[in-house]
Amino acid sequence: MFGADPELRQIIGVTLRMSVLSTLISALIGIPWGVAMGANQFKGKAILSRITNTLMGLPPVVAGLIVFLILSRSGPLGKLSLLYSVPAMVIAQVVLISPIIAGMTSNIVSLRAPSINETCAGIGISGWKRLWLTIKECRIPFVTAVLAGFGRSIAEVGAVQMVGGNIQFKTRVMTTAIMMQTNMGRFELAVALGVVLLIISFVINSLVHRVQEQTQRDRTA
Amino acid sequence: MKRFALLLVCVGLLFSAAACIMEPENKVIQMSTTTSVNDSGLMAYLQPVFEKDSGYSLEITSAGTGAAIEKGRTGDADILLVHSKSQEEAFIGEGFEETRIPFMYNFFVIVGPADDPAGVAGKATAADAFQAIVDSGSPFISRGDESGTNTKEKAIWTSINVDPTGQAWYESTGSGMGATLTVANEKQAYTISDKATFLAHENTLSLLLEETDDMKNTYSVIAISTKRFADTNVEGAQAFIDWLKTDTARKMIAEFGVAEYGEPLFFNMD
Amino acid sequence: MIVLRDVVQQFGGRIVLEIPELQFVPGKRYGLIGENGSGKTTLIRMLAGTSKPTSGRIEGLEGKKVGYLPQSPYAFSFSVLQNVALALNGHGDAKEIAQKALVAVGMESLMDARGDRLSGGEAQRMALARVLVRAYDVLLLDEPTSSTDVRSMDLIETTLKEYVQKTQCTLIFSTHSPAQALRLADEVLYLEKGRVVEQGLAETLFHSPQDERTKAFLRHWSLNS
Repeated sequence: MFGADPELRQIIGVTLRMSVLSTLISALIGIPWGVAMGANQFKGKAILSRITNTLMGLPPVVAGLIVFLILSRSGPLGKLSLLYSVPAMVIAQVVLISPIIAGMTSNIVSLRAPSINETCAGIGISGWKRLWLTIKECRIPFVTAVLAGFGRSIAEVGAVQMVGGNIQFKTRVMTTAIMMQTNMGRFELAVALGVVLLIISFVINSLVHRVQEQTQRDRTA
Repeated sequence: MKRFALLLVCVGLLFSAAACIMEPENKVIQMSTTTSVNDSGLMAYLQPVFEKDSGYSLEITSAGTGAAIEKGRTGDADILLVHSKSQEEAFIGEGFEETRIPFMYNFFVIVGPADDPAGVAGKATAADAFQAIVDSGSPFISRGDESGTNTKEKAIWTSINVDPTGQAWYESTGSGMGATLTVANEKQAYTISDKATFLAHENTLSLLLEETDDMKNTYSVIAISTKRFADTNVEGAQAFIDWLKTDTARKMIAEFGVAEYGEPLFFNMD
Repeated sequence: MIVLRDVVQQFGGRIVLEIPELQFVPGKRYGLIGENGSGKTTLIRMLAGTSKPTSGRIEGLEGKKVGYLPQSPYAFSFSVLQNVALALNGHGDAKEIAQKALVAVGMESLMDARGDRLSGGEAQRMALARVLVRAYDVLLLDEPTSSTDVRSMDLIETTLKEYVQKTQCTLIFSTHSPAQALRLADEVLYLEKGRVVEQGLAETLFHSPQDERTKAFLRHWSLNS
């Protein structure tokens, strides 16, 4: 039902491009941020973790508003003319998703870090080598965090509508297209896009589930 | 068992009695209108006076033109207030309507950057203005949402044999008038808008062309018939249409917006 | 000589360890006994440097090589052999040394198994081998045989004795089993509620404890074994 409509394919393409790119960048920011928080005890850890938790719950429209004001013609980065483009949507998504990946990463790491830190201290391993070992031990659950970020970014609507503008052939993604088609009373297209989103969501959830099962087996076997 | 049956009969009688008391005519009129009509504030201005004069109460929902008309098909509206000739005609062809009365009009406006690189200001028609935009390759933002405004815009493109879809200078937002004006303002691009929304919207764009014959925007009310959904409130819809013809209503429409903008936003049909 | 002076450790306002003065003589073997929460682990972690005392000083550890086996050591998700070789940090003969250490704790058949798939007892023996591949001045073991099954116990204790003999290190270990303290330690310290209640030669402390609290603890133990 989808292959025939080039616009539908184009919308799915923009959606995937935006989601994959924003997830990758968010992982590059969120994982080191989360590892730093989860692996060590340091001054200001409590306040950093509270900030992260707040950002994890940041309403998408607030993120959209902030990015909009920054990228607007009259905003500080207005000269870059980024508003209503895929990069603008990616920036808003990174603002939303990297704290989520950071928070999940921190939880994952803090489960193992105390035991790894004690063990490493006992056999003279410290610094970067210890950190590297910690990251290596957490690599599988990290995949869960990144997939959760991807799921979140593909489902996002408020922020991408605000900074992307839902422009046809350019920044129209599945969620904003569904909203638009529904407003126009064209429910067939909205439902078709909704089905695609559901399928993608289902695949991601299955992957997360498999990764979690794998980790469980490794830990208990 | 006998007692239970008696109880049932009693309860049944009670309900039918209550139904008899509450039944009189349906006092609620469900009106479906477009966001632009709703955003202009016209209905909020007319509604209390109509309700006082007629004894009916109006329940107004607003959506994009497509969705607003769709409510006439799904039985969720007794009366439509819309402004998209071609879509109204398509709807009428399907036989849902009782009557369609064009009752007021205004003009769309072409707005754009103050320096007007395409030279839209002073053109005789919207068609000429659109041609100037094409010739200069200036950016144009379309609502692209099948709204009345968007339908009018597409009719103008058709009149000069231009298909703007996919052109580099043409972008379609699929959004409401307010959101589209925001995009046009950010990109310093041209767009076509209803005057009320443009005046109410905060932006740096200039009003470049208005009141040409090909930008006339006619508003109609369509009463939905009882043919598909028997409980449609045709009497209520007719009462609203009759009320629109009264001197009170015509005077109110003619005066709407004058205090705020110094000129009327809507004109009565003759 | 390792000396603790006025050492206090608090967690959330609660004093978990309070030691006015305590000495560990080089080359001697010390066993810490006492109930859960008596401060054994806190004392060992402070000596290992993974927990800083709230106040007080610990002297005599500067420049010393300290090996430490935590109560629940981490088993990395690579092979048992690699887990042990980790402590050798790129040493030329890492593989042979690690193999020998694993044989000494009875793990020769599990060298290629994944560390994170071992049972609790196996993981503990692997972690012990990982500590014992290198020579330390001070060796700290927090309940090194708490999950070890009885069949491996003799082997582990023999290996430990040989290690101490060979390296002449100071051994400080905690245990739930007074019998093990008697077998491995020169001196035994009985801890209760964060304080060292009694300290003495193993034989003396077990056969004629002076403090009432030590007596009560040991009476409980003899009834149970």
